[in-house]
Amino acid sequence: MLEVRELRKSFGNNEVIKGIDLDVNDGEVVAVIGPSGSGKTTMLRCISFLEKADHGMIRLDEHQSDIVTISKKQIHEMRMHMGFVFQAFNLFANKTALGNVMAPLTIARRMNTDRAREMAMGLLKKVGMDQRARYYPGQLSGGQQQRVAIARALASGPSVVLFDEPTSALDPELTGEVLDVMKQLAAEGTTMVVVTHEMQFAREAANKVVFMDNGVIWEQGEAGAFFEQPKTERALQFLRKQ
Amino acid sequence: MQILLQSFTKILIPGIKVTIPLTLASFALGFAIALFLALVQVARVPVLSKFARIYIWIFRGTPLLVQLFIIFFGLPSVGIILDAFPSAVIAFGMNLGAYNAEVLRSAIQAVPVGQSEAAALIGMSYPQTMIHIVLPQAFPIAFPPLFNSLIGLVKDTSLASSITVIELFTTAQQIAARTFEPFALYCEAAVIYLMICTLLTWLQAWLEKKMVWRTPEDQLTG
Ligand SMILES: Nc1ncnc2c1ncn2[C@@H]1O[C@H](COP(=O)(O)OP(=O)(O)OP(=O)(O)O)[C@@H](O)[C@H]1O
Ligand SMILES: [Mg+2]
Repeated sequence: MLEVRELRKSFGNNEVIKGIDLDVNDGEVVAVIGPSGSGKTTMLRCISFLEKADHGMIRLDEHQSDIVTISKKQIHEMRMHMGFVFQAFNLFANKTALGNVMAPLTIARRMNTDRAREMAMGLLKKVGMDQRARYYPGQLSGGQQQRVAIARALASGPSVVLFDEPTSALDPELTGEVLDVMKQLAAEGTTMVVVTHEMQFAREAANKVVFMDNGVIWEQGEAGAFFEQPKTERALQFLRKQ
Repeated sequence: MQILLQSFTKILIPGIKVTIPLTLASFALGFAIALFLALVQVARVPVLSKFARIYIWIFRGTPLLVQLFIIFFGLPSVGIILDAFPSAVIAFGMNLGAYNAEVLRSAIQAVPVGQSEAAALIGMSYPQTMIHIVLPQAFPIAFPPLFNSLIGLVKDTSLASSITVIELFTTAQQIAARTFEPFALYCEAAVIYLMICTLLTWLQAWLEKKMVWRTPEDQLTG
């Protein structure tokens, strides 16, 4: 379970996140949608401490902390229970697909190599990349890289996986393979927060939709109901443009 | 002609026995210093990063020959007496450290920030991120300029002759003085330096080819 309260973040004078509350229950798939520049990426980066927020509280399962005064140790603790999938994949260029998925286990968790390799191969199989275990990122297509990145994010057995537009950097014909993997994870009950422009995916796979604009969450609720009948004019306008 | 042939091995041998170890030892020391100076700057370690800036400022802003003289002829007057060879290694190493610190720093900064962010998010500490992700990717970027400085160093070691190190150039000087054939002997010394540098250039090209992250096609399956 992930809970965020009163999250605020400014870049200089530009307030980008204006007091956001977010609740993600176990097994839920939350789609975060909204126009470009509305602060979706910034929100995920604050939740994962890549960006230092100005105000807020975060809770992940039994770990809870003020998001500003949180210690390095607590950040590490929380990150061990989070997965993060970047728009640009960010696979380690100097490691093979297998090496990338093993890294969270062998380097960050100091697991022994044999067990880590076995677990990592299992995860690569899950995303359909076990045949490519020995390829380096430079030898893989974007869609394949993103599937490996998803396997890497799952390696530590996270309570929640955060996705920042996982298919936006892909050629249209490659988005399907990544979305299929994500749908499969959703069906298995993986807790996910997915920032996306793929309305089709949000409709099909999400339980809940969060609509953001201009640093504010205007609506959050059950996905079916949201797409059927958004409550705010902004959301309606946004959906019309899709 | 006779002199050239006779002196060839006489110059070549100290070339191999002194110039090459001097180059390698100086380069190793220089690399260690450079890595230290680069890392404290990238990590913004409070006092040390300031120290690194000052160090680089001084060693890049003064002539190598002067540094060599300070260490060999100057330090004894404050009670530090070093042999010629270690003096040369220290002077070359410290000088190279300053130049290569900038090479390494810019190479580290050229590794996309997404790589360290991904590492941090999977729970790697800062040192782990550096060791396993950033430095391995920075090294191939730094490699060509580092190798350039190695080739430059081979030639700069001839300056050690001025502090009594008997290396390739010193030997050529001695024979030239004895035989009154400076033109032939200095040209010969130049040729030997050229040979060493040519070998290094080949080595560089070969190593650069090895430094790509690709699994060969025939090993990809299985
Ligand atoms: N590092 C930064 N420094 C300054 N301003 C920033 C920074 N990162 C983001 N911003 C600003 O914050 C606002 C929100 O950006 P953000 O990337 O979170 O939007 P987004 O909703 O993810 O947009 P998109 O759909 O295009 O990805 C934008 O106005 C952006 O210019
Ligand atoms: Mg974004």
